[in-house]
Amino acid sequence: MPEPNGPPRLPSILIASDGHHTVNAPPDLDAGVLVRDTDLATLVHRAASDCPPQAVDIDSVAGLGSDDYALDFVTGRLAIPIVLTRRPQLAGRAAARGNIGLLHVFAYDSTGLRRSLEGHPRSAGVGSVVTPGLVILHLREDELAAIPRPILAYGLIDTVEDARACLAVADAIVIRPGLAAKLAAELVGAGARG
Amino acid sequence: MSYAPPDAAVFIERVAADPCCAAITGEEGLDEALESRAPVIFMLRGNGLSLAPLVRQIHAADKLVAVHVDLVGGLRADRASVEWLAGAGVDAVISSHGQLMPAIRHGGMTAIHRLLLVRRSQLDTAVSAIGRSAPNIVEILPGVLLPSVVGMMPRFDVPVLAGGFVRTEAEVHAILSAGALGVTTSSQALWGTMSA
Repeated sequence: MPEPNGPPRLPSILIASDGHHTVNAPPDLDAGVLVRDTDLATLVHRAASDCPPQAVDIDSVAGLGSDDYALDFVTGRLAIPIVLTRRPQLAGRAAARGNIGLLHVFAYDSTGLRRSLEGHPRSAGVGSVVTPGLVILHLREDELAAIPRPILAYGLIDTVEDARACLAVADAIVIRPGLAAKLAAELVGAGARG
Repeated sequence: MSYAPPDAAVFIERVAADPCCAAITGEEGLDEALESRAPVIFMLRGNGLSLAPLVRQIHAADKLVAVHVDLVGGLRADRASVEWLAGAGVDAVISSHGQLMPAIRHGGMTAIHRLLLVRRSQLDTAVSAIGRSAPNIVEILPGVLLPSVVGMMPRFDVPVLAGGFVRTEAEVHAILSAGALGVTTSSQALWGTMSA
């Protein structure tokens, strides 16, 4: 969700897209679009459309580097304020420039999670992308506390129940367009009933 | 006389009989694992260049040993390191590199292909890779999610192990109910607690 008059903000929900089709965030949700697993030309095309993405998984864009030039291009020319990356330095630089840098943290087992966090810059504005996101429901309190926030839970969140549970623990989640539509419909239904 | 690891079928039988396997990081936890009823010890870290004495200790305790070739120190995950592990007397080798599975089997060891659950959109690719690599066992991480994602995955032709964030008996039961052969866990309280 763009914040034209202030620093960027992480919406509660990022809807995953490969950029090849228009994805509109349902207006009833605090949601934006994350472009991932795409190529540079598609990313540029989508950023210039009337539904530009709020976030990009920069390492998953074919043709795009993971250096300062790429960061300038994405956050400046394409005006995408939220950058997901596996590179701690890049996440730190994104945050230092007033954007939100989110570093991938891999949570396949407890030892791996600890090792993944060793490289985290832990600087202001740098949060974490916990992969797979659904596992956040199984982390101990001390493990959760060790993960720099904001936390974006990304991966295998596939049902309304899982989405709600993950949102209670993480700051934001990544979901597919179909699940976003279900969440929005449920919200509207609850509003009509209430 | 050099050590001959058991057939994969025997390895699988041992796990099936006592499905909570011990996952340790090098020598840390080894004594507890040796004293437990866990049938197989999974070595996920440590020095891959000085494994032979540990392997002998594990065999002396009538247990089998599986080593993660991608994660132990001192080794590069390639055919030569697989041969090195065979020479050290290892019974099974775990790797995320599907191309190593034939070399592991050729070395007479049980080949375990580790599958990392990342995103639903990547599951098909990962499952295809497993189909090509033809391991003896698939290990899924994080295993605690297996009950949640089992419906998204096709059935594998080989047994499935689940590891990662498995900490309670309830989680073990859910994973076994989802069709897994066994679990690998660093939670010592669970080691060997589910004897058939």
